[in-house]
Amino acid sequence: METNDLMIEAVNLSRTFGNKKAVIDMSFSVPRGEIFGLLGPNGAGKTTTIRMLTGQIDPTAGHARVAGCDVVKERAMLKQRIGVVFEDQNLYERLSARYNLAFSCWLYGLPKRRVDEVLELVHLRDRAKEPIRTFSNGMKQRVMIARALLHKPPVLFLDEPARGLDPIAAREVRQTIDRLRQEGMTILLTTHLMEEADQLCQRVGFIINGRLVANDTPRNLKLSHGQRALVVTLDSVGDVTHNGTLQEVTLNMDDPYDQSRLAQWMAQEKVRAVHSREATLEDVFIEVAGIRPA
Amino acid sequence: MHMRTILAIARKDALDVLLNKSTLTLLIMPIILSVLFVVVTDIFGSHKTEILVYNPGNSAVVQVVSGAFSDPQIVSASSPADVASAFGPDGSHKSSPYAVGLVIPANFDAALRQGGHPQMSLYINGDDVNMQQRQLLQSAIMNYSRVVANPSPPASINMATINPPAPTTIGQDLGTLYITTALLVSFMVSTSLVGSLLVEEKEKKTLRMLMVSPASFGDVVLGKLLVGVGYQLLLSLVVMVIEGGFMGQVPLVLFFVLCGACFSLSLGLLLGSIFQSSSAVGGVAGMVSIIYIIPGIFVGPLLQASQGNMAVQLIKILPSYYMADGIYNALVNKTVVSNALLDAIVILGCTAILLLASVWTLRRQASVVAAI
Repeated sequence: METNDLMIEAVNLSRTFGNKKAVIDMSFSVPRGEIFGLLGPNGAGKTTTIRMLTGQIDPTAGHARVAGCDVVKERAMLKQRIGVVFEDQNLYERLSARYNLAFSCWLYGLPKRRVDEVLELVHLRDRAKEPIRTFSNGMKQRVMIARALLHKPPVLFLDEPARGLDPIAAREVRQTIDRLRQEGMTILLTTHLMEEADQLCQRVGFIINGRLVANDTPRNLKLSHGQRALVVTLDSVGDVTHNGTLQEVTLNMDDPYDQSRLAQWMAQEKVRAVHSREATLEDVFIEVAGIRPA
Repeated sequence: MHMRTILAIARKDALDVLLNKSTLTLLIMPIILSVLFVVVTDIFGSHKTEILVYNPGNSAVVQVVSGAFSDPQIVSASSPADVASAFGPDGSHKSSPYAVGLVIPANFDAALRQGGHPQMSLYINGDDVNMQQRQLLQSAIMNYSRVVANPSPPASINMATINPPAPTTIGQDLGTLYITTALLVSFMVSTSLVGSLLVEEKEKKTLRMLMVSPASFGDVVLGKLLVGVGYQLLLSLVVMVIEGGFMGQVPLVLFFVLCGACFSLSLGLLLGSIFQSSSAVGGVAGMVSIIYIIPGIFVGPLLQASQGNMAVQLIKILPSYYMADGIYNALVNKTVVSNALLDAIVILGCTAILLLASVWTLRRQASVVAAI
């Protein structure tokens, strides 16, 4: 892959706070138009990584480039090329959605029509004049996404974008994110929702105790780390628990005993159906990290 | 530092201050206090000014003298001795119901027209008539004499003052002190107001948003300073209108109000950058308010009375003393250039230091993930 196509490139990025090492030798890259997910438990170093990549704090070692800008030396240019949706809903609650977005327009020196454009994008134009405090969590999240998109940044950082949202609002947010990727935006998101990462991300990285311990596509991770299993539907057989006349049993494809059992049932013509069962990202995370995600 | 982002932040905060009930209450507080001062002054300061007059020739000079007071009551004396005994000799101390006494010769006006130099006696009770009013009276009588005729000198006044005010009498310029205090209170409010504006950005995590926008910490601080100065000037003007503060050297008064506003707002910004919650800023701003109140009390006559007192001299360490001193002297028209220059340099120097300190503090906090 050409270096020019890399929109995010972190090389041996480290950050310490006093004696605490928050991020250790983290290296990864995200090409243009990709959604990269950073997964990990609370306190693993996800937010510190985002804060370094968005120029909020300096790394203590290593370096990073985002949208072609060095995150330390070219901070002013970097700010023009990134959008950030924060974990906390940090909007001006007493002001209207329109005023919140207009404020960001003033900061970036953008024309006022951008407010209407992004409000249209997140389907909030009809509620634009109402104070943010009257909005639901989902609506607030959409306003935050709209704010991050005002200046049309090529790279978007999303910190737990669906946190605290009901399933419908979360799906709307995910649809918006996917639409942005289709439009060519590069997105780095952190989440603790494995299913969300699986649906949205082209690649994911697992952070444990400040270290990036895995970094690949969800499919490769599941194939390389997950258990190969089959779900077999059988007519009644002696060594399987009964449930009416049909039984379902999960077999480990790498277990010789399960392999012989399957062969035996096939020979006896007891097998009605066979389905492969893929490992989930959560299974992979548990295996890689040895812990359950937060 | 960008003017566009500074103006953007100021514009946003200007509206947010009005929509926030607590900041709106803070803004209204000095206005309420000023009204209270006016009411107190009215209750304790308003009484009829009784003028004892011996005026056998019915000279119109009596009307001129009574016109110098807002609520005069003229009492006629039957003889010059009555007036003299009601007041006593010059410099004596005596309780008298009269504020002013006048003994006007029977031929006062006629003598003036003939080019003579008639002598009238003017008695002043220092408890009721201050120095400025006394000068005003003398000037009014002289003007009257010039209107009647144009001799030089037109008339001579034999003046006696009882209960003469000591040069350091507290309360002599109570009105001026009230204005100074009301302005200092409005500065105190600004400290709290702008501190809460900044700390709210931390509490609501909106400062994080500003950190990834084109705004620098300097822009954030200056934006809030700008909106604070706007509201402070508006507040000061309202306070001055209520208190009748457009007196003395008005441009200089306004200059020191502007300097004072910048200082108090910078102090608020430093508090807002140090602390993480509105309650902490409010509490500390309350404690810090003493640096406004003390100079407000001791500026002017009381400070003169306490010259040599070490504790009072220590007040001069406070920058707010120079703020109060500048405003007070401008109000009473006693500004000395070197003094005003010192006041301005101290206030503006401290303002610059406080602003730099708040930007530095914010930057330092931002280097720690959990801090902002």
